[in-house]
Amino acid sequence: MFKTCSISRTVFASVAVFTAIAATTSAVFAQEKPFTGQRLSVLMVGHPTTDAVRKALPDFTAKTGIDVDLEVVPEADSVPKMMLEFSAGSGRYDVVEASSIHIQGFVGAKYIAPLEGFSTKYGEFFDKNDFVPTYLKPNIVEGNLYGLPLFGESSFLMYRKDLFEQYGIAVPKTFDEIEKAAKTVKEKSNGEVVGITMRGQQGIQGVYIWASYLWGMGGSFLTEDGKSALDTPEATKSLETFAHVLREYGPVGVANMGWEENRLLFQQGKAAMTIDATVNGAFNEDPAVSTIVGKVGYAPIPVQTTKPKGGSSSLAVFNLHVASDSQQKEAAWLFTSWATSKQQQIHSLETDPNSGVTSLAAMDSKAFNKRYGAFKTAMLASLSNGNPQYIPTVPQANELVNNAGIAVSKVLAGTTSATDALKEANDLNNAALTR
Amino acid sequence: MNISRNPTRNFYRPIIGFLAVASGALLLYAIWLCLHNISLMSTKGTQFVGLSNFARLATDWRGIQALGRTALFVLLATSIEVALGIAIAMFLDQDFFGKKVVRAVILVPMIMTPVIAGLTWRFLFNAQSGMINYWLSLAGISPVDWLGNPNIAIYAVLIADVWQWTPFVVLLAMATLETIPKDLVEAARMDGASEVRVIWHVILPMLRRTLGVAALIRAIDSVKAFDLFYIMTKGGPALSTETQNLYGYTVAFTNFDISYAMTIALFLTIVTNVALLALTRFAMPKGTG
Repeated sequence: MFKTCSISRTVFASVAVFTAIAATTSAVFAQEKPFTGQRLSVLMVGHPTTDAVRKALPDFTAKTGIDVDLEVVPEADSVPKMMLEFSAGSGRYDVVEASSIHIQGFVGAKYIAPLEGFSTKYGEFFDKNDFVPTYLKPNIVEGNLYGLPLFGESSFLMYRKDLFEQYGIAVPKTFDEIEKAAKTVKEKSNGEVVGITMRGQQGIQGVYIWASYLWGMGGSFLTEDGKSALDTPEATKSLETFAHVLREYGPVGVANMGWEENRLLFQQGKAAMTIDATVNGAFNEDPAVSTIVGKVGYAPIPVQTTKPKGGSSSLAVFNLHVASDSQQKEAAWLFTSWATSKQQQIHSLETDPNSGVTSLAAMDSKAFNKRYGAFKTAMLASLSNGNPQYIPTVPQANELVNNAGIAVSKVLAGTTSATDALKEANDLNNAALTR
Repeated sequence: MNISRNPTRNFYRPIIGFLAVASGALLLYAIWLCLHNISLMSTKGTQFVGLSNFARLATDWRGIQALGRTALFVLLATSIEVALGIAIAMFLDQDFFGKKVVRAVILVPMIMTPVIAGLTWRFLFNAQSGMINYWLSLAGISPVDWLGNPNIAIYAVLIADVWQWTPFVVLLAMATLETIPKDLVEAARMDGASEVRVIWHVILPMLRRTLGVAALIRAIDSVKAFDLFYIMTKGGPALSTETQNLYGYTVAFTNFDISYAMTIALFLTIVTNVALLALTRFAMPKGTG
């Protein structure tokens, strides 16, 4: 009897201890992955950064137990998609990726959720000081954090060092010098190599690049008091110069060229200059897709005015936001902070041509310098001078850009004069702003 | 009192009733949208604005020009496709080696996903590296700016549309040609009529109903044409390929002005209905064919 009692006491004691240990550890495990089993629906824009995130998703699921359904769409279609879901309050997407220009509109319409509360409670992936300050700034509205920057791009001038040396051309510092350089290239190469190529397709494509000319020549989209400023002499001159250099020294078919066509033309060595996004640098220096590796020089976009209203290089920042009608905001926040964390950004440098990192640590990393050293200085200079308002950031931004794009296309095609086209766009924009 | 008809009616009346109610409800909602000012990005809220959307459309130069382009495209696309389709069908009606293969292959453009067709034509028409300009260069012609020249772009899209939908007309015509009694045609030939007269006076009148149906369907589809326009040119350059349908899409999904977009779409529907009812009455009068 005594023996059984002692055995049962030992058994009881060990079972008690075991249960206690099990309870504590399972409590610890439960705290480590409190959202296991949840499923997020994420909408992202097609870009090397997104490819890197998609490849690293299993790692996220292993760390947090959260599954992710990732939907990737082209940029132009992403905004209508998320707008439709937001306005219907459907709760279809937990996390969306959008450009900074939409933040004001989204916050005003209460489509995206403030993140301060989550960042303090679940901050395992989050480091506020690691983000490039100019990228993080548009995400802070009225003191509250509404999103985290995923990638940032600027634009710069890319030119063929070898051709410039061969034809004795100096790096252009003004738009007039760009035109002279383009003319020289066209003449001296007998039309084999195009002087300059830029995006001319009607819509955001053409406007994105023309905006550099607009700001660089002292113009702007909106006046101080929020009216359209497209009918100013500076804007007219900038559009005339832009259209002229493309029509005279640009490629055939420029009026329908978007980002891909333009980049491919330059990558294949058929143009001597191009003004385009900094991410093109990554493609230029990739031997797998480019025939001009090592032959490209990078310079800032010219400024040809004594009174600039803003920088001539664009600053496009894409951010991840948590939707207001998401039912799983904490899990969505974890994904948002993970995808923009410095570990993920540094990791992405290995898997994709992602030069648009927003993490300071990633920018200083060895991998970044190894791959993108050729244009890193020029890119950083463009970013620091980048204009975050290169296209207007009001809620009607899309419509304003669309109207401007029509004007650019008309002048490029030669059907209307710059003055008339811009006056028309100006009137339409003012109507849209007051509606 | 015909007892055998009543049970049949009970089968189809509920379904037709349901469809009628659904269509009616949708139409009423569409009209409600047109009378308000809903915009996805607006923070002002919905207000009743009466007929101001319609007034705006009446003075919208861009919308009127888009309607003109739609009319031009519909006219050209329908007439070319019907004429070409009939010609090809008559050619295929004869017996020749490989006829079965040709008849199968000719349907491929129609079956192909419109987006793939649009992308393929976009690459073909690429001014720098497209196949078409390459072939032209072999013949000594300098590159044509197919999709970047506002005078040419709409015809480039037209070519793609004709390629894609002529097989549809061919299909309809082939089916009808097979039902034409051969002895009628033989008799006409034996009477000494030339081939042209045989076609014009014997075969075509028999195809008249088919031609009418094919033209009607193609016209309706051409008004709604979207895929090729969106993929190949996005309405550019300089708005030269923006049809009314594409304009409505831009207003809805780029400007987020839902109510105005609905107005455009409703207007287009009404215009199309009126135009095609007139066409039907003209081309297919009751009692002939």
